[in-house]
Amino acid sequence: MFRLRVCTRLAAQLPRAALVNQIFQREIKRSVRPVLIELTKRKRMQKNPISQPRNKWIDWNRDAELYAFNQRLSEKFKTDLLEQAFTHRSYIIQEEDERKKVGLESQLQLVDNQELIDEGKQIASLVVENYLNEVLPLAPRECILALKNYLLAEGNLAKTSSGIGTKDLILTAEYPVSEETLMNTFYALVSALNRSVDLEHVGKFIRDIVISTLAEKDLIEIWCPEDPMEILNDILDREGRAYAESRIIGQTGVNTLIPVYNIAVYSNKEFLGSGMGDSIEEAEKMAALNALLRMFDLLDSSKPISCNLPIRDAECNSSLESWKRSDKV
Amino acid sequence: MSIVRRSQQWGTFARMWHVFDATWQDPYQSSQIIAKYLLGRHKPISHPMNRCGDHVVVINSSEIALRGDEWQMRVYFHHDTYHGGASWTKAWELHKKDPTMIMKKAVYRALGNNLTRHQAYARLHVFLDDKIPLEIQQNLSSQIKQLRPVPQRLDQISPEELENFPQIVKLPETYVLT
Repeated sequence: MFRLRVCTRLAAQLPRAALVNQIFQREIKRSVRPVLIELTKRKRMQKNPISQPRNKWIDWNRDAELYAFNQRLSEKFKTDLLEQAFTHRSYIIQEEDERKKVGLESQLQLVDNQELIDEGKQIASLVVENYLNEVLPLAPRECILALKNYLLAEGNLAKTSSGIGTKDLILTAEYPVSEETLMNTFYALVSALNRSVDLEHVGKFIRDIVISTLAEKDLIEIWCPEDPMEILNDILDREGRAYAESRIIGQTGVNTLIPVYNIAVYSNKEFLGSGMGDSIEEAEKMAALNALLRMFDLLDSSKPISCNLPIRDAECNSSLESWKRSDKV
Repeated sequence: MSIVRRSQQWGTFARMWHVFDATWQDPYQSSQIIAKYLLGRHKPISHPMNRCGDHVVVINSSEIALRGDEWQMRVYFHHDTYHGGASWTKAWELHKKDPTMIMKKAVYRALGNNLTRHQAYARLHVFLDDKIPLEIQQNLSSQIKQLRPVPQRLDQISPEELENFPQIVKLPETYVLT
């Protein structure tokens, strides 16, 4: 109807004026595509792409962003400590150089976060280890340490840190911000929160943001005991039980390219665990590993790591050399 | 992928080897069951995009039982593409010629008409009696249940067993059974 009306109006105006440039087109002009392709090509060819960090934009309001950071995480960081946690040494050096070039003599009123980083490292390490000991009481110490190293590794912490929105707030000379700087900022934030609130609250912060990521991970990918049969026999020996005896409980397609063996390990006719493999040795290893994981409560079917336990000091788990089931149960 | 997950995967996607005893079984009804195993439809991981079919070894295919007068009435058609080259072979004739053929043809038909048919059919191994090569015998790991229990034939019952069979009436020795 509308189009009809427009057409009649146009027809009425036709003798009077030139046609109005009104085009009803559905497609994009043919010239647009080659232009966009050319632009993208040139962008890719560029060796040093023009960096536009968000915090260099003219509408960047640092105070508002810092406030928003606090609110987003529902934390109570003190503003001056938060400011200090984000300020790296390299930034201060760079600023002072620039001031000297301009001829300004007055000193900057900024404090760098080196002290906070060192403190944060100790706190994070302590909290993670305590919590893992608490939540995986049956796992050996080697497993706890491997999980701790995984959680506090540079890449993982950098990801966590940029995930909570520190990337644009960090004051540093380098751009783009390196993983190490992101990780250090996280440590500095941990320490700043410790000074702003208390240690227990920091524990909850680390638990919720860092440790909870373990719930979705395959823990065996992070830590897997080498030579499980030997470890299993050591444990059985320590507990005063008979050595592990492995038996084939199922096999199929033995003469094919894809044979499957299902082997179980028994100690004095008591079932310990079973595993599958493409050869007898492989399946035996998997069976021993299954038995070990059953003891350590690290199976796929065991409960995932709970992320709501209170933070408190826990005693160290025993290492593989002295692990005994009777101590725990 | 951790080695535990790898081992779990290996076990889940294992190709099983089943044995099916065709003695006194209807080939057309059993082929429905066998086709299910060949295509992997009996597994929880079964999916049209997932190749998880198993091997089935059919033994004693010469002992199959057809219903009613099917030995005479069921006809297998073949055409050699020459003029007048059509031929109709009755089931009993075909069975005489090759005792595994009826079972094979029944399963081939039960597999359905799509691209998975030939791969699944290649996993079927039919033997006319219970003598199967050792190489295949070692692969076996499971047995498919027969559709009907095999009845015991009168001529296979031993005379001692017949003697000791409980009688309802003790007939006098002078009594003549017609």
